[in-house]
Amino acid sequence: MNAPDRFELFVLAEGEKKITEKVVSGMSNCSDFILLKEDHTLGNLLSAYLKMAPHVMMAAYKIGHPNVPEVLLRVQTDGSITPREALVTVCKQLVAMYGQLGREFQKELALRQYADQGEHAGGAGGAPGGGPSGQNGF
Amino acid sequence: MDYDPMVMDDAEALGPVVKISQADSVRVKYELSNSDIAFANSLRRVMLAEIPTIAIDLVEIEENSSVLADEFIAHRLGLIPLNAEGVENLLYARECDCDGCCEHCSVKLMLHAKCTGDENMHVFARDLVPVGERVNQVLGTPVFSDAEGLGPLILKLRPGQEVKLECIAKKGIAKEHAKWAPSAAIGFEYDPHNKLRHIDLWYETDAKAEWPPSEYASWEEPPQEGEPFDYDAVPNRFYFNVESAGSLPPDTIVSEGIKVLQQKLAGLIHELAEGEGDGMNGDYNGPRSPEYGTGADGFGGYTTPFGNGGNQSSWGGAGGTTPYGTTPYGAGQSNWS
Ligand SMILES: [Zn+2]
Repeated sequence: MNAPDRFELFVLAEGEKKITEKVVSGMSNCSDFILLKEDHTLGNLLSAYLKMAPHVMMAAYKIGHPNVPEVLLRVQTDGSITPREALVTVCKQLVAMYGQLGREFQKELALRQYADQGEHAGGAGGAPGGGPSGQNGF
Repeated sequence: MDYDPMVMDDAEALGPVVKISQADSVRVKYELSNSDIAFANSLRRVMLAEIPTIAIDLVEIEENSSVLADEFIAHRLGLIPLNAEGVENLLYARECDCDGCCEHCSVKLMLHAKCTGDENMHVFARDLVPVGERVNQVLGTPVFSDAEGLGPLILKLRPGQEVKLECIAKKGIAKEHAKWAPSAAIGFEYDPHNKLRHIDLWYETDAKAEWPPSEYASWEEPPQEGEPFDYDAVPNRFYFNVESAGSLPPDTIVSEGIKVLQQKLAGLIHELAEGEGDGMNGDYNGPRSPEYGTGADGFGGYTTPFGNGGNQSSWGGAGGTTPYGTTPYGAGQSNWS
């Protein structure tokens, strides 16, 4: 009856911002980023790659409550770049890496299709009930 | 522009590598190597929960004299895979200007079946007929992957019983309800020899003898006898097995997953760049999303090698019209009832 709409898990409410930065006062070059309507998919990914990034001293994330779709990401740098710059760099790097993954995948798929076509000599691709079972593994 | 892949170590600079071991209309199996577990797992999570598809979300029942309760049938209808090709051109109903639903944010399907014979009748997904305007000619059509092209069995009717209902299919993601999941299952595996000891295998006397080796065990070097444990080792080869539930071909699930993840990241870049003013994020300023960027690589589009064959049943024409009238399936199928 008073259950919230399920899409509130991933749709920003009126006036909400996807990401906000809060400078952590007690620590040098340190910021908390609050990501609204996000989960471990971004939290773990960003904190893992921030840890590997140059000039980043510390990175960690938490999801305070499993029912609350909010991620807190804390980043501390060595001072030569700001935490915000570190995060932007990591995001750009990840976009590029996923882009490369997509291209690699399509390239491999095209190669396979080409090989399969040779094998089945233009056999009907995808007859009901299974299609060509590309069993020619390695 | 300046995507310097931020050298972490020499191997990382090469970026992810993919090797496909099986690809057909139902599943794609591939190895993702030279990568990182966070990178691989985020892709897995997105393919499970955040790729938009279309599923029945509203059912208006006019007549139901079957033995199944209205809500039971409505639930079964929601779970029927519908073709999601072109769903990117459909609006989310909550973002549409119409009140309720319209052809820009939904697909209407009708089901009308009455058992007029003297044997029990079976009502299949095939009897679910899209009506009215649609974004394209296939979006929202039930998917048939069985040899007969009938699709899943929805319910059975005794002589004299009848169901008549109208369904509204909407766009959504599996985070809202699992019926929108494009994948039936995603296998995800790494370290088949358990060298990293992320798994603590249960056993009676000998784990090695009691557990069958992984399908990928031969892909990786088995541990040497008496090999010391490497505390610094991290997984970098991941074995995916993406199985489609029917609404999208498996390779599209992978490429759409990548796209969704890129859009998430680009959204962050865009927000973080806002108010910065300086040229730091120059190439991401403005309302541009990587959707378009990646399109240049022949990657943004929706067409897949399986687009025409795998997803779309060749049944449509053969069985002829099923004008949601009574379906003559009573005869010859009585072994079911
Ligand atoms: Zn609408």
